[in-house]
Amino acid sequence: MGMIGRGVKNAFRNVIRTVSIVFILAISIALVLIMFLSLKAVQAKIDSVKGSMGNTVTVSPAGVRGFEGGGELLTTSSLNTISALSHVAKASGTLTDRLTPGQNTSLTASLEPGSFGRRQQSSQTEGRMPNNLSMPITVTSTNDLTNTQALNINELKVTSGASFDGKTSNNIALIGADLANKNNLKVGSVFKAYNTDITVAGIFDSGNRFTNSSLLMPIKAVQKLSGQTDQVSNINVQVDSVDNISSVQTEIKGKLGDKADVVSSIDTVKEAVKPLENIKTISIYSLLGSLVAGSVIIFLTMLMIVRERRREIGVLKAIGASNVNVTAQFVVESLTLTIMSSVLGIIGGFAFSNPVLKALVSNSISTASNGQGPRPGGGGFMSRLSGAMPGVQNTLRDIQAVIGYEVILYGILAALIIAVIGSAIPAYFIAKIRPAEIMRTD
Amino acid sequence: MLKVSDLKKEFKSGDSTVKAVDGINLSVPSGAFSAIIGKSGSGKSTLLSLLGALDKPTSGTIEIENEDVTKFRDNKLIDYRRRKVGFIFQNYNLIPNLSALENVMLPMEFAGVNSEDRRKRAELLLEEVGISSDKHKRKPARLSGGEQQRVAIARSLANRPKLILADEPTGNLDSKTGKIIINLLCSLAKTEKTTIVAVTHDQGIAKLADKTFHLKDGKLLS
Repeated sequence: MGMIGRGVKNAFRNVIRTVSIVFILAISIALVLIMFLSLKAVQAKIDSVKGSMGNTVTVSPAGVRGFEGGGELLTTSSLNTISALSHVAKASGTLTDRLTPGQNTSLTASLEPGSFGRRQQSSQTEGRMPNNLSMPITVTSTNDLTNTQALNINELKVTSGASFDGKTSNNIALIGADLANKNNLKVGSVFKAYNTDITVAGIFDSGNRFTNSSLLMPIKAVQKLSGQTDQVSNINVQVDSVDNISSVQTEIKGKLGDKADVVSSIDTVKEAVKPLENIKTISIYSLLGSLVAGSVIIFLTMLMIVRERRREIGVLKAIGASNVNVTAQFVVESLTLTIMSSVLGIIGGFAFSNPVLKALVSNSISTASNGQGPRPGGGGFMSRLSGAMPGVQNTLRDIQAVIGYEVILYGILAALIIAVIGSAIPAYFIAKIRPAEIMRTD
Repeated sequence: MLKVSDLKKEFKSGDSTVKAVDGINLSVPSGAFSAIIGKSGSGKSTLLSLLGALDKPTSGTIEIENEDVTKFRDNKLIDYRRRKVGFIFQNYNLIPNLSALENVMLPMEFAGVNSEDRRKRAELLLEEVGISSDKHKRKPARLSGGEQQRVAIARSLANRPKLILADEPTGNLDSKTGKIIINLLCSLAKTEKTTIVAVTHDQGIAKLADKTFHLKDGKLLS
């Protein structure tokens, strides 16, 4: 029997002690794994939530929303200022306007007013309803047709003709499919808007009835035709990384002052992932705590064993064992205990990682929702969050620890770290024991 | 030949110094059986520790085969304990969870003997000391005191040492078994050409020795 065999055999010299140590150490290793898996799952979820929210900052004139409110629109110079900022990948400006059929356009609206449209018209005209009520036609102009987010549409599919260059000032338009049908317009057709001939460059389908009943035009053309020279109603800013959103937002606020409202998704995202960040912190501390606890358990065990076997160590040295021989034997013993514990710990980690993670997430989100009490304006953070970002709460709850083969490797790695730390100091004590110890009479 | 010159070992005890071994000079011819007798606390065990390089002397020399053991440093000391000297203890000091055979094989493992050779040698030695093969796989707890001491003797001979140091080898045995063990040691010393130094306070054993040294208060009386 060699040194390894003796080390392994020694691990079973006291069966009750071995079982107790293995059990306690297994719990510690299982905790290390559970916390490690939780950490990974939570980090992946945080990244995913951040990624899904995009890297966007929206700049709109203060006090203005859509066609309501009051104040001053932004300008082309604001757009240029923002474009020049560092970490800004792209800044797209839009100017929105309305055409009124029968007044400043030859087009007929493709949207029917319906009861909702009638009610709105009624409130705007103080109850005096026109005989032939018609919906206005929305014109969205932009300097960048590729930025669909700035246009408030998911997808811009040009079904005939071609898209236009946003920098142009030509009197051309992309016309929504429903509006084109209603007015029998084709590519190359000409219609009147702002008392000017506008040529249809293409027809688009956005999959949305409202936008399919509208027009898209170059911003310079609309600024000129509508008499809103250099004015911009919205700027959509794409930031190069989620991490730079806050700094870009601050810079824009600094440049534009209080004449603009600067909103980013980052604040909402930050608050949304706060419970996950808390779990992350808990996981990190628990992971380190479990690792230290495991090391302390094996360290104290080995220390106790070394003290118990002082005479035996003396015998081994007296019959020719070097410090390395004796230490190696004790390290093998320590490794045997930790490997047995690791196997149990990995099984425990597999079994309990998801239930523990779910409990942590559920508890953390509930605390965040209810724990801070009612706020002015009503509702806790989750209710506000659900309103602002529907589905995020459910998304956060839908978190899963992914258990792969690498977990076994991490488990073994944890065991090795524990075994090495746990054996290092006892090894020092082994080296200190003199062979003459054997002559000591008990 | 074992030659000890002006060997001293002092221990600090508070402010005072205890002279456990106080200027001992002795020589033992190769292959001889020598006995060191003395009362408890006379320094016998300390002297044995020094001879076996288990402890360092305060001063003096211990020469074996014309080499001064007191000048040895780490690796050479380990090598000395592995190959040149064998120990037998009063309470046997066998490793409790190893079988009799494994206990005898252990010093050979440290000396780098291959597994097959050390098994053969251990089996032979156990047979020589009178442990039948059916007891080779028994752990020490399942052997009698006499049998355990026989295993310890076999272990001490494993690496064919030049010197065997025995500390009260019969101290835990009845007189009949004690005599058998001493006779065994003497006969093995002759066949293996090994020098034996045994510490004892048993006058019966001392009578069997080729040479006897009386120790009192760390000094030799004769």
